[in-house]
Amino acid sequence: MTNDSVVDIERITKRFAGHVAVAELSLSVPRGAVYGLLGPNGAGKTTTIRMTMNIIIPDEGSVRLFGDDLGGRHHSARIGYLPEERGLYKKMKVRDALIFLAETKGVARVAAGRKADRWLERLDLGAWRLRKIEELSKGMQQKVQFISTMLHEPELLILDEPFSGLDPINQQELKDIIVELSRTGTTIIFSTHQMDVAEKICDHVCIIARGRKVLDGRLAEVKREHGGVHVAVAFEEGDEKAVPVLADRALVAKLDDSGQYAEVAMADGADPQRLLERLVASGARLRRFEHIEPSLHRIFLDKVGAEEAEPAREAVHGRA
Amino acid sequence: MDVRKVAAVVRREFVERVRTKWFIISTVLGPIFLIGITILPAVLATRGGGARVALVDEGSGGFANRLLAQLQSDGRFAASVVASASAPAALTDSLTREVQAKRLDGFLEVTPAALESGRFEYRGRNVASIRDMELLKAAVRQAVTVERLTRRGIDPGVVQEAQQRIDLATLRITRQGATGESGEATFFLAYIVGFILYMAIFLYGVNVMRSVIEEKQTRIIEVLVSSLRPFELMLGKVIGVGGVGLFQMAIWGVTAAVLASYAQALFGVLHVTPEQAAQVQMPAIGLGLVALVLAYFLLGYLIYSALFAVVGASVNTESEAQQAQMPVTMLLVVAIVLFPMVLNDPGGRMAVAMGIVPFFSPIIMPIRYTASEVPTGEVAVSLAVLAVSTVVVVWVAARIYRVGILMYGKRPNVKELLRWARES
Repeated sequence: MTNDSVVDIERITKRFAGHVAVAELSLSVPRGAVYGLLGPNGAGKTTTIRMTMNIIIPDEGSVRLFGDDLGGRHHSARIGYLPEERGLYKKMKVRDALIFLAETKGVARVAAGRKADRWLERLDLGAWRLRKIEELSKGMQQKVQFISTMLHEPELLILDEPFSGLDPINQQELKDIIVELSRTGTTIIFSTHQMDVAEKICDHVCIIARGRKVLDGRLAEVKREHGGVHVAVAFEEGDEKAVPVLADRALVAKLDDSGQYAEVAMADGADPQRLLERLVASGARLRRFEHIEPSLHRIFLDKVGAEEAEPAREAVHGRA
Repeated sequence: MDVRKVAAVVRREFVERVRTKWFIISTVLGPIFLIGITILPAVLATRGGGARVALVDEGSGGFANRLLAQLQSDGRFAASVVASASAPAALTDSLTREVQAKRLDGFLEVTPAALESGRFEYRGRNVASIRDMELLKAAVRQAVTVERLTRRGIDPGVVQEAQQRIDLATLRITRQGATGESGEATFFLAYIVGFILYMAIFLYGVNVMRSVIEEKQTRIIEVLVSSLRPFELMLGKVIGVGGVGLFQMAIWGVTAAVLASYAQALFGVLHVTPEQAAQVQMPAIGLGLVALVLAYFLLGYLIYSALFAVVGASVNTESEAQQAQMPVTMLLVVAIVLFPMVLNDPGGRMAVAMGIVPFFSPIIMPIRYTASEVPTGEVAVSLAVLAVSTVVVVWVAARIYRVGILMYGKRPNVKELLRWARES
């Protein structure tokens, strides 16, 4: 695309034993972006990331990193990578493991040690630096692994499902770090199926399903293009009076009802003001009525649902 | 090739291993074990002046006393004669009780009938001691022979002369001339050399395999191959683990050299008399042998660790590896099975052939070299064949490794492994 793309993927295809994991996928990640790679389980996110990292070779197509095709290993000092399945040397001490992994990225031992100490301190693991990794809790081990991906101050961070398996506190901590790194100019690509997280921190998204790209672009543009007028409504507990109103096809095109909260896509030409009047008239006790942009979650369901209804919905709801 | 990254891998493999309890224990116990089997026999021989044996004289007419003299002259027994006059059963009972109370090791009944028929009966606690029983049998045989010849009227002087002890000292001749080493010591050394090589190649090869499995199982491998080429990783691993092996051998070598130079002082501390110390045969270990053992260890370790790395890369878990490593382990076991054959006839056709076959030569050739003279040409051919095979095996192994480390699921068969090697 442009010269300022950190990652340029051109029509890559990868087949495994008969099934197509990724098909003719193209995407481009601009420098400094926080890029969300979204899709249901088995959509081909991890395979795409592995091909980007040059761990597996695409059957067709090409991957360009930092403007050349020398491959991930050539640029490994500039890239931090967190694989989907986590793991570290169990018997190694936390600090030693971090230093070793930094060394494989070309950082000198002494500098690596200093940086490891700083990060461990920051993530409240200072007291654990000389303990063996197997003595740490799962959450702590994850944090150590995050540190290992960032220790060498990469320009490009590729995180495969970074939020899975983290408790809310650690999720927040990681989100803060991602935002902070992004401010200092790091390009971040991460895959997830947690749309709420992606919505908060991504400025670019790419939704894939069944190995194919469904849509991509700046989040704001995606939302604008998704079209329609959307309204968020919330009711007081146990209020069923609104149900017939929301079922009115003249007003409501689509409804994503989560019980107390519902996202409404207005029917063509319908006026949200009219919906509000009807709701008030129905006697339902409203807690919220807001004209909104469609949520990423909604877009995801619409787009992926259109592609292949069943597996996608199942995957998304399974995680909700 | 990024030398700094390989060095980081080497360093990790080395440091993490040397820090383990396993390394410290095996390093300390190794020499203790070796010292044990070299010095212990001498120390044990000094213990308590031998077995306490009573000779029950049931009218043997002086034979018991002659046997007593024979046993005492050996210095291996603290023997005494007990005369049995009237009630042999009561005496047997009381002697049995003495043995049970551990005041006596055993007793031998000396009767005219036994002397006539040559059937003696010994009862004791130490009947399982092959050495004691052999010595006792030899003493009895000698005393009986003297007794019978004397009764036939042979001059006791002639009998004594005929009975003089015969010694066959075995001295090894090498290209450098007579060495002063005995055949026994040579055999012993060859055995030790073969055994150490087998253990070292096997243990450190398995270490490489487990290291590969660990990285695969914890999926660190994905991070690693995104920064290092698989060959760099495998190389670093093999060098690092091999370095631990060399380090351990160096510790042993230095320990042995220091102990040998203080041998006299050491014997003094252990109350070993000079005569007993002389029985401890310290075979001379030449620089040539050390160099040869090192060369075969390095090449043998390389070829086997490459095979073990393939096993590690083709499995998902350690328990799967137990089965998958069988073919590799079998190769080493064959070398061990060939051991006695090679030692019995180090210059035989079989030994020569096995000294050249690459998977056996790392163990067989050093044994042959220690046990006999091996023509330099044969050593050169064996080393050359081994070196070439090592390069080929490592090359193929690296290609399989490259594919295997990122493959999960069903264990591949040999055909699939070879396909990986072709396609990668």
